[in-house]
Amino acid sequence: MATQVTAMEALQKELDRLNRTPGLSATVDKVDKIIEMLTSVKDQIIQSGMDTHVASMAITRTQNPIKSTFEKINDDLKGVTATQRKLGKMLDKHFPLKDLPSEHDAMADHEPLINRAISMHLLREGQFSVASTFIEETGDAVGFEHVNAVIEGQEQASMSDNYDDEAMDEDHEDENDDEDEDEDEVVSPLGVLATGSGFQQLQSLSSFQSHELEAKFSQMYTILQDIKSRNLLSAIEWARNNSVELEARGSNLEFELSRLQYVWLFKGPTVNGLPDDKFNGTAGALLYAQQNFWRFGNRYIGEIQQLANAQIYAPNLPKSPYWKIFSTETAFADVASSFTREFCSLLGLSAESPLHVAVTAGALALPLLIKYQQATRARGTEWTTTNELAFETPLPERMLYHSIFVCPVSKEQTTESNPPMMIPCGHVLAKETLQRLLKGTRFKCPYCPAEGLEKDARRIMI
Amino acid sequence: MADHEASKINHDNHLLLDQPLLRLPYELLRKNFRSAHFTVEKESTTLNKLLKETAKGSLDSKTSPEDVVKDLDTMIAKMRGMKRKLSTYADEETRLYKQLDARVAHLRELSDMRSVEDVKYEAWSRKRLDRLLVDYMLRHGYNTSAQALANEREMHDLVDVETFLTMSKIRESLENGSVTEALAWCNDNKKELRKLQSNLEFLLRCQQYIELLRINTQSKSVEAIAHAKKYLAPFQEQYPDEVREMAALLAHRPTNKDLPPKYRAWYSPDRWSKLASTFVEAHNKLLGLPTFPLLHTALSSGLSALKTPACHGTQKTTSSSQPGHSHTSMTTSVCPICSIELNELAKNVPYAHHSKSHLDNDLLCLPNGRVYGQAKLDEYAAKAGLAEGQVKDLVTGEVYSRAALKKVFA
Repeated sequence: MATQVTAMEALQKELDRLNRTPGLSATVDKVDKIIEMLTSVKDQIIQSGMDTHVASMAITRTQNPIKSTFEKINDDLKGVTATQRKLGKMLDKHFPLKDLPSEHDAMADHEPLINRAISMHLLREGQFSVASTFIEETGDAVGFEHVNAVIEGQEQASMSDNYDDEAMDEDHEDENDDEDEDEDEVVSPLGVLATGSGFQQLQSLSSFQSHELEAKFSQMYTILQDIKSRNLLSAIEWARNNSVELEARGSNLEFELSRLQYVWLFKGPTVNGLPDDKFNGTAGALLYAQQNFWRFGNRYIGEIQQLANAQIYAPNLPKSPYWKIFSTETAFADVASSFTREFCSLLGLSAESPLHVAVTAGALALPLLIKYQQATRARGTEWTTTNELAFETPLPERMLYHSIFVCPVSKEQTTESNPPMMIPCGHVLAKETLQRLLKGTRFKCPYCPAEGLEKDARRIMI
Repeated sequence: MADHEASKINHDNHLLLDQPLLRLPYELLRKNFRSAHFTVEKESTTLNKLLKETAKGSLDSKTSPEDVVKDLDTMIAKMRGMKRKLSTYADEETRLYKQLDARVAHLRELSDMRSVEDVKYEAWSRKRLDRLLVDYMLRHGYNTSAQALANEREMHDLVDVETFLTMSKIRESLENGSVTEALAWCNDNKKELRKLQSNLEFLLRCQQYIELLRINTQSKSVEAIAHAKKYLAPFQEQYPDEVREMAALLAHRPTNKDLPPKYRAWYSPDRWSKLASTFVEAHNKLLGLPTFPLLHTALSSGLSALKTPACHGTQKTTSSSQPGHSHTSMTTSVCPICSIELNELAKNVPYAHHSKSHLDNDLLCLPNGRVYGQAKLDEYAAKAGLAEGQVKDLVTGEVYSRAALKKVFA
């Protein structure tokens, strides 16, 4: 850290020095002077009426000044060379060139996929005009065809894999058949999301190309802009139109938005700047509640009671028990981020840009990858040919999206072919570990005195 | 695993992707300066000599005042020409200084941050992504998009639009069957190319020769032989085999039936795209630019670090967003690898290695075999408005009695 700051400062110092050193624009000025000198000699000769003596005197006398101006130019340039060299040394010292992977590019053959990821990134960032330029320039129809293909492919894969799973389960875990069937019902490729509006839009991307997605993101941006300017109506309308899907996700978004709308109206025209009429202020809030809160039934009865009770305390709300609900400091930012998350989720997309997360993670993991590659270069195998990276790439907590279970005995991550198994005492082991522990059909837990039977171990999903 | 250590910014190693950021303007600055210096040296020698001759002639009365004025006009014209050239170099210098200043300022922002959790890091990292995107677009020749994005983000000084535009013009000219622009570039960078032992110029000269033979007329053949004498012979020592093959091509015309594959290959129209990539390679090497787009490097490293066995699995997990999988708002963030944008791409890299489990606290197993942390189950039950003593599966939505749950020790 300290060295980096020093290095950056040292670099800045060299740059400042370079900026101070007379550079090429100073040279241009000096060349101008030479032109002036030559012109003035010419003028003198002409004014003298082409006098031979004047001519030879003038041209002889100008030789030295011109020579010395050139010498000055040369001195300047030498100075620049020296400062540039220093800057170069500084770069070599503090920013030594480190080799990047250059032999194998795992991404080289996937330009359409990368282009699609970039198009979607630009759209979700709200860069609509850049996105459309990019899509046009890359002729990305192919890329978006791919979205469709990917989705269909995954559907088929997930269907057939489910069958495979079942077959495998029949072989090894007869006990689990019932559960697996239950699961299949829900795993059915067209789940809640798939029948929801968002997913269908994505599926039809190939025909509409990116326009549909662009329209979606542009709708998202309009709504976010509204929320930013304290207008919740468009967000509430969206949440209401998608209430079935949102409810299936266990999302409170519609209620959160409506509650904030109540609070916002409650605060009255001096705070919310809306017209001072019967739709605003405490009375307006009550009217809003009457018109809208019945939709939520019993689900938020506690919260709704609190909102109603606050009416009584309206003259002196800060001293009431409800003050906290009525603080709107971060409320709009909060609903904005909930909204973004829900909106993207209904499209089957992550709320943060995957491209951004991946590139940030990439920068964090790269030093280790390079170190590993240098160590294994001699072996001639590429790191991308294995299933699992051979080294750990630590990432900050927020970049871990899945639960990871590492078998405490084999130290291996569990996978679909080697899933986590819970044994009767509640301890969890990888399936392969369990098989190694078996003596006949029995095993002893490596962590407690309990013993168990193979058939009592059950596959769990963490 | 995820701990405080992992969030720390390792400053010594964090700028691997950003090396060209300072290197490129520095290299360009030196190159620009060398050219300027060369101009000054050449023109000043010429001018001093002219001046001396004229002065001497005038003193010896061999040169009339009229001729002195004529000579002066020549000199003034020369100096004006020099000034024009130098002004171009000076403008380039100013532009590069400005770039260096902006880039050092951009990197200094990072040197003040300690952790990737710093809110400022998010903004910095976004800017880095934009830079990498522009780099990617430029390298693939999506120049309009690159410029549009650079404009939109006001980051012209942080990206190398000019360098890549020059490059892509030359590349396109090669793809369209013209060597002129590439040869001019070789000439501008003669010394450096020699140092790199690049065969680009030789290949370009060969191509010119091949094109003359392709026309297959008497006069063009004579021209081809002259060309070979002048431009290919000097390479005899360096590339003896190829030069011999070139000579043999005189007897192996493209119209010959049963042309041996070795010779047919030289006449192939593919050679132009090969020349284009040889040029790009030499260009990038010369300027210290990485072989492939930085975005590729960042992505392959990042996709792999983020990927888990579950990302391409068939099971639903709490953060999976695979199409057709229902999931709840409790699955706070959808995994970027599971998201449609990157899922297919991530199939090409291995998944991350973990030596420690990363699990929620107080795990409970539902009767259907799914395991969740108690806090998540409680929160979801409250959100779903369940009756006391009930929980709901976050993924499948099944409702169970709390009594049916089993504690998991993982």
